[in-house]
Amino acid sequence: MADSEIPSSGKAWASRALITFLVVFFAVFWVAQFRADHAQTARKKVRFWHMWTAEWKDVVDKVVDKFNKSQTEYEVEALSAPSQGADSKFILGVMGGDPPDVMAQWNPIIPPWANDNLLRPLDELMTADELRRFNAEAYPVVKKLGSYKGRLYGMSIGINMFALYYLPQQIRDAGLDPDHFPKTLEELTSWGQKLNQVDKNKNLIRLGWGPQGFPTFAPIFGGGLYDYKAKKLTIDTPKNLEALSYLAESRRRLGFDNMVRFTAGLDMNSFSGGWPFIGGAYSITVDGQWRVEQVRKYAPNLEYRTAPIPAPKGGMPFAGNSGGNFMIVPRGAKNPKGAWEFIKFWSGLNDPNTAAEFYTWGGWLPLTPAIAKAPIYQAYIRKYPQFKTFVDLMPSDNMNVLPPVPYQQFLADQMTKMEDGVMRGTMSPRKALKDLANRLDAEVKRREELGYEE
Amino acid sequence: MRNRRFRIGAQSLTPIQSFGIHGALLCLCIPALLPFIWMLSTSFKLDSDIYGSSKAGGAVVSLASLIPHPFHPQNYPEALKTVPFATYLFNSLGLCATTILGAVTSSAVVAYGFARVQFKGRDFWFMVMISTMALPGQVTMIPQFAVFRWLGWYGGYLPLTIPAFTGAPFFIFLLTQFFRTIPAEMAESARLDGAGEWTILCKIVLPLAKPALATCALFQFLGTWNDFMGPLLYINDPKKYTLAYGLQQFYSSYDGKWAQLMAAATLFTIPIIILFFFAQKTFIQGVATTGGRN
Amino acid sequence: MRKNLVGYLFISPWLLGFFVFTLGPFISSVALSFTRWDIVSAPKLVGAANYRALITNDPLFWKSLWITLKYAACAVPIGVLAGVLLALLLNSKVRGIAVYRTILFLPSIVPAVASSVVFIWILNPQIGLINGLLKRVGVVGPAWLADTKLAFPSLVLMSLWGVGGSMVIYLAGLKDVPVYLYEAAIVDGAGPFTRMRKITLPMLTPVIFFNLVMGVIGAFQYFTQAFIMTSGGPEESTTFYALYLFNRAWRYMDMGYACAMAWILFLIIVVITAFLFRTQKKWVHYGG
Repeated sequence: MADSEIPSSGKAWASRALITFLVVFFAVFWVAQFRADHAQTARKKVRFWHMWTAEWKDVVDKVVDKFNKSQTEYEVEALSAPSQGADSKFILGVMGGDPPDVMAQWNPIIPPWANDNLLRPLDELMTADELRRFNAEAYPVVKKLGSYKGRLYGMSIGINMFALYYLPQQIRDAGLDPDHFPKTLEELTSWGQKLNQVDKNKNLIRLGWGPQGFPTFAPIFGGGLYDYKAKKLTIDTPKNLEALSYLAESRRRLGFDNMVRFTAGLDMNSFSGGWPFIGGAYSITVDGQWRVEQVRKYAPNLEYRTAPIPAPKGGMPFAGNSGGNFMIVPRGAKNPKGAWEFIKFWSGLNDPNTAAEFYTWGGWLPLTPAIAKAPIYQAYIRKYPQFKTFVDLMPSDNMNVLPPVPYQQFLADQMTKMEDGVMRGTMSPRKALKDLANRLDAEVKRREELGYEE
Repeated sequence: MRNRRFRIGAQSLTPIQSFGIHGALLCLCIPALLPFIWMLSTSFKLDSDIYGSSKAGGAVVSLASLIPHPFHPQNYPEALKTVPFATYLFNSLGLCATTILGAVTSSAVVAYGFARVQFKGRDFWFMVMISTMALPGQVTMIPQFAVFRWLGWYGGYLPLTIPAFTGAPFFIFLLTQFFRTIPAEMAESARLDGAGEWTILCKIVLPLAKPALATCALFQFLGTWNDFMGPLLYINDPKKYTLAYGLQQFYSSYDGKWAQLMAAATLFTIPIIILFFFAQKTFIQGVATTGGRN
Repeated sequence: MRKNLVGYLFISPWLLGFFVFTLGPFISSVALSFTRWDIVSAPKLVGAANYRALITNDPLFWKSLWITLKYAACAVPIGVLAGVLLALLLNSKVRGIAVYRTILFLPSIVPAVASSVVFIWILNPQIGLINGLLKRVGVVGPAWLADTKLAFPSLVLMSLWGVGGSMVIYLAGLKDVPVYLYEAAIVDGAGPFTRMRKITLPMLTPVIFFNLVMGVIGAFQYFTQAFIMTSGGPEESTTFYALYLFNRAWRYMDMGYACAMAWILFLIIVVITAFLFRTQKKWVHYGG
């Protein structure tokens, strides 16, 4: 035996101990697998997958609990699938014939998944009365986001809107009056220049007004990305060019490199107290309604206000780009009826007063005006008046969404890349829009050649 | 003295050389430690104290900011409350034990075949095995899923464990490289004594390849311990998930609880550190002398 | 004849796994690369259209391939060199070597969610550690990951933190060097440098070869860091091949196209690997 030639020190002993542990644990683990528990309940199971984790998962569990308590027929079982793997898990689940009954997803998946026949149209599950009420009551943007080629595939449980956040104290310090906030984009731009601050090396340390987000600004300038009548993309248009040039100009004025360094140093995606707005790095900025809840949690004493993004001359008021969280039902769901009951319960289509409370738990924007008017939702708005700006944007017909095309993700990625180039000054807005249009044309052509578009 | 083995270079290391080695290693340790120290220190902070990137032109984050102040150990109990830690730990360890046993034993057997047995088609199959690692898993994921589903394994641990028993190409290749370096005379003399291939594998090759086997075990442990996608895709019962899934539960794109995430990540990492610290002694030094016993 | 039987018996566990778990998915992914397949509906044959579109009509395909080739050409040699040097250092008999080994292995085990945050902090242009140090000596540091020119080299540099994995393999290889060879060399009066060149390095070549091959395979499939830290940006400067492939497969739901991409990558890797195997007769020493 070779072992005998190794001096039997503690090491040989340790290696044997490790192997023994492995084998014992192996045995214990697999024996434990046979001790399956069969906790059967009389109610029909509704399998619900979502992507929320940590404290957001607790909010979801609270809603699920409420539903289960309200029910005698169905029982929802929630499973959190963190976002990196959620899409794959869902797709494999559908393919394997074992999908969830309902899943909470974000809006960009609706066009491709609906196009690929992964989703069950919700209008098949709704009664005629429910469908009529949904069409009559739901906010326009909810319908735009949840529909694909005339069918309804997603029911919103929380819409996202973008507006201005600003710090009144910094505005006062600059000799301006926050009570008379700019009503035009031009005025806002000139405020921004007065609010910028640089250090002794001319490095930017505070940005007065840093506009970004081409999809948001294109509609504000009266442009847009999609012609719903002609069912065509509208990328390279004069209005869009105006919007993109405005964004580029705001960067050029302060120096592209200076701006890259400034923004790269700040974590604008922070979802905690690290959001640079809280630290005062931006006087006026564009962001979503979720920041209200974030400030409540991480900087409750911050003095800040919100306002809709003002339109430039010839532009559109209350415009912008919107997205949100949607409930979907996959093809092959075993219990679509139960899924629809749950969706109705959470979204508040039937009982807005009960559901209004869920919306306040997460700081979410409502499905219908009836939810917004519910006493509990109104109380929330009174407590956090900054939130009202976003609720007021909901009825706007000028609110755009990303084009409902099956290659929407490709479009979104290409658009991000295009804006990135413009904001770094490596591409002129004119050339950038042309390039984007060409790339998208090539993609559409490729899809046509392969027979994707029918 | 534990044993009177011949120490490589031990006699030739002058104090200056030894000083130089210490110096070089210490320099390397600083960047190597940074991620871990940062994780550890953040795990004892308040969320509001984590790096203050919210102010532009503010103070540069210095090494001093690595010391948590105030000291906030509550992140740990809170992290433990958020997920069923014990259940996940049990599942993780169970899967690790299974895959280590499966992958190391089967890979060793297969590697012996490739390294020490002359048979027709050996080189062909070896190249096939290497090339199975060259196709990105993203495109085989769906067909693979279909296979497991066809076998009726979807929803349980079998897709995560059984393949380990058929050997892992990475380990087979690694062990093949090690087995090939073992002097042929040793096997020949055993063969003259009437030993079969199996006996040679168990009695001669495996004891000599302990460092390599332990390396495989370590990598398999890390692979299974960190595997998040596997359990997520194949398991639907929340009670059957593993620690890697639990860790992901702290990490969400719209959550600001960095401190708790880092506490969870620390808890997730410490078992591996302990294991490695003891294992490296056991396996890296354990058999240094045996190579020369002929 | 008996030899053949014994050989196949030994590799039978892998053969079984290959035929049951691997071969099917391999064949189906080849077949799928000649179809359009949105994952859900039945795949439709399109001939070589995917390959044609990739080669003639997809600038990002070429760009991502170029980025990945560059990465492999930089990161693999650096990784092998760093791994060997580190292992040689860690193979020395100084006090506390176990602690050093553990510390230098640490970066390989800190979860990616934690380490990526650390690197984002270290490379932060305003308050980051590196630019903070540069500021002390009066240099204004660049924007690193946010800089179109520097994001790629930053990722290459970061790959060095992962060298702990191959270091462990080299260490195991070093422990495999028979001590009697050193004894003989010392008796012959060989100094430490000669011993290194004549004994240690040649004996280590099988392991170096292993890490080289695995390094190439890994580099061509490099994905995670770019996915977490830059998601391909800025301006597509870190859109690695595998990242683009992932987007095609799961984000744009274009699995047929992704399969075609995967098989082109497969062929490239296999050709390079086969070439490496060709060269091994020249420089890899198997003692046995």
